[in-house]
Amino acid sequence: MGNTIALVGNPNSGKTTLFNALTGSNQHVGNWPGVTVERKEGEVRFRDKVYKVVDLPGTYSLGAFSEDEMVARDYILTGNPDVVINVVDATNLERNLYLTTQLLEMGVKVIVALNMVDEAESKEIYFDVKALSGRLGIPVIPTIACRRQGLDDLLAAASIKIDSAKNGQFAISYGESIDTKLITLKSYLSKSELAIPLNWLAIKVLEGEEYALRIIKEQEALQGSTDFRSFYEELAVHRDEYQLDIVDARYNFVNTIVKGTVSRPAEPKTTWTDKADDILTHKIWGLPIFAAIMLIVFQLTFAIGEDVLGESMAEGIEALGEIIKSGLVSISAPWWVTGFVTEGIIAGLGEIIGFIPLILVLYLLLGLLEDSGYMARAAYVMDNIMRAVGLQGKTFISMIVGFGCNVPGVMSTRTLENRKDRMIAILINPFMSCGAKIPIYLVFIAAFFPKHGGLVLFSIYFLGILMALIMAKIFSKTLFTGEVSHFIMELPPYRKPTLRNVIRNMWDNVSEFLVRAGTIILTVVSALWILAVLPVGVEAYGPESILGRVGSLIAPIFKPAGFGTWQAAVGLFSGIAAKEAVVATLGMVYAGVSEGAELVSTIRSVFTPLTAVAFMVMTLLYTPCAATIAMIKKETGSVKWATFAATYTFALGWLMAVLVFQIGSLLGFA
Amino acid sequence: MLKELLVEIGRADYISKYMLASKMNQPLGLIEDVFTQLIRLGFLEEDEGLSTCDLPCGRCPYASMCNTNPIKTINLTKKGQDYLTSLLN
Repeated sequence: MGNTIALVGNPNSGKTTLFNALTGSNQHVGNWPGVTVERKEGEVRFRDKVYKVVDLPGTYSLGAFSEDEMVARDYILTGNPDVVINVVDATNLERNLYLTTQLLEMGVKVIVALNMVDEAESKEIYFDVKALSGRLGIPVIPTIACRRQGLDDLLAAASIKIDSAKNGQFAISYGESIDTKLITLKSYLSKSELAIPLNWLAIKVLEGEEYALRIIKEQEALQGSTDFRSFYEELAVHRDEYQLDIVDARYNFVNTIVKGTVSRPAEPKTTWTDKADDILTHKIWGLPIFAAIMLIVFQLTFAIGEDVLGESMAEGIEALGEIIKSGLVSISAPWWVTGFVTEGIIAGLGEIIGFIPLILVLYLLLGLLEDSGYMARAAYVMDNIMRAVGLQGKTFISMIVGFGCNVPGVMSTRTLENRKDRMIAILINPFMSCGAKIPIYLVFIAAFFPKHGGLVLFSIYFLGILMALIMAKIFSKTLFTGEVSHFIMELPPYRKPTLRNVIRNMWDNVSEFLVRAGTIILTVVSALWILAVLPVGVEAYGPESILGRVGSLIAPIFKPAGFGTWQAAVGLFSGIAAKEAVVATLGMVYAGVSEGAELVSTIRSVFTPLTAVAFMVMTLLYTPCAATIAMIKKETGSVKWATFAATYTFALGWLMAVLVFQIGSLLGFA
Repeated sequence: MLKELLVEIGRADYISKYMLASKMNQPLGLIEDVFTQLIRLGFLEEDEGLSTCDLPCGRCPYASMCNTNPIKTINLTKKGQDYLTSLLN
């Protein structure tokens, strides 16, 4: 076998494309010893000589940050390639040349394959290849690997380089202090018999790279020298400084190389993203803008979901119910089958499914906001408020997740390292109104506030956030004291939302909702239906049924809140199993109040606007569902905290509902 | 450039790599690279906002409701904070 050519480059620099173009089918794949990194080797014939080509893993640097880096570094240092072709992405030259500087520090024979020059030219990036090559001191060959362009020139340059002497001493000035240290260190290192380039080793020692430090530790001659040890200890004191200065020097070197050899169109000083962020993340206006955007989302949800789609959905379910009922009657189905299907399933589940258009539209709009990059801004806007209540802004991210479902909301608090932040974030997450609660609000809004649906829904969400902040402040002053940890959020650029992402996000949420409707809620409704028709002989869905009796026992608790009926009590308690079950249960138990009437009109006859508000406030704040409680137990590792979360939220929900009703009554609201 | 970026991050309430690139008159790719360097050198920590679940997403019944567009946060490590303090004093 002839000489060996190693290909090294950043990920996505077109290195593997070049490897394939050079070797064609003459290649084989294995693994590098001791690691799971793929090893690709092949052969290329050029001017009657056969070269072995080794495709090294894509890497940005030659350190020890990843297995890929270590494999590339070790091969170049100890694999003795005759020449290294550094594949450089011409569209991102500054970034790619950082690796080139490291190869030059190693003192190996390097050629730069300036790849994807066609793409660079399409972006109006042009190169003075000769000047670039001159400044780097190595050959630079423009290539378009995917079109096999420039390969002959590259191989010709490689064969010349192989036969030439090694690269001259490559020198970057890392600053006077470091340069002096490097000279001293290299003089010490030269006393040991080392098989790796001293210049590279000395730089790596100053950078504190583990691999280099280990080599130094193994040199008995060096370790035996008192002078060296005191010099070495002094280096360690300034290591942070050296690390930054060395990396900085490489970037400055790259900048110097690029300036005057590359021309590209001037980037606008201020992008429209910057301009938008000036307004959307403004310290004063950011929050009202966020509130206004959410209000528009809720208003649009009602305008499209209810007014346009909702009515046809409700009519469709009603018609389906009638067809099924007539069908069951025509086949003389037993009373309990007809009752279970029409008053249990259709009255219960049908109520929930009727709200699907609204939920679809809400998640569509939230998905648009999320996909555009605005939600990161919302989290940032909330950051100052979160800090004011003793939490870090990142907590709001778990709260945003909680708007979908509290279970992943609680789970997402795992990203908070600080226990104080984490515990508070877990305990306040249930106040984030999850998707499962939406149908409950929608029923009451449809019954009493149909013209102000968006505003009411917005107020509920706002109240949930407000209560979460108040409780966070109380917890951070009482149960979990400690300092607020500092995090900086990264704002991604605004993106045009993609239809695919938005539709998928919407479908994910709605399909989950439907799956739960068909499983947990169906189970809860079926169990409650049995309790509502037993014992045999009493009026089904009446106060004498088992469900009625149990509900009647609990109902007095809610009397001060204005909704002390057994049906409301049963509805609320079914929500502890799953929040979607509340509307299904209300649909079923109120089917006995006014047979045939739809839930909304029944609710209108048994609640008042004031008691409806009190009920919605209770729903917003009271005990989370069983799955969330289980997750709180898992995440806190404590039954005590899960029990606390379940009870304090119930107490707070009850207190707030009572306050709404009592104060509202005093003010003359009905 | 690393020190300059570290100082910018230390001063900032939030980071936008686009804004930093524009402010420092450098290509975005280079700013991203410098970020990576600061992370690998242990001056910064980056958090993707993804929870470290024991359960793979494929088996999680709540995966569809989970955070799909994570919000990244940057944290100055103790090393970064100490260095910044010494630099600014």
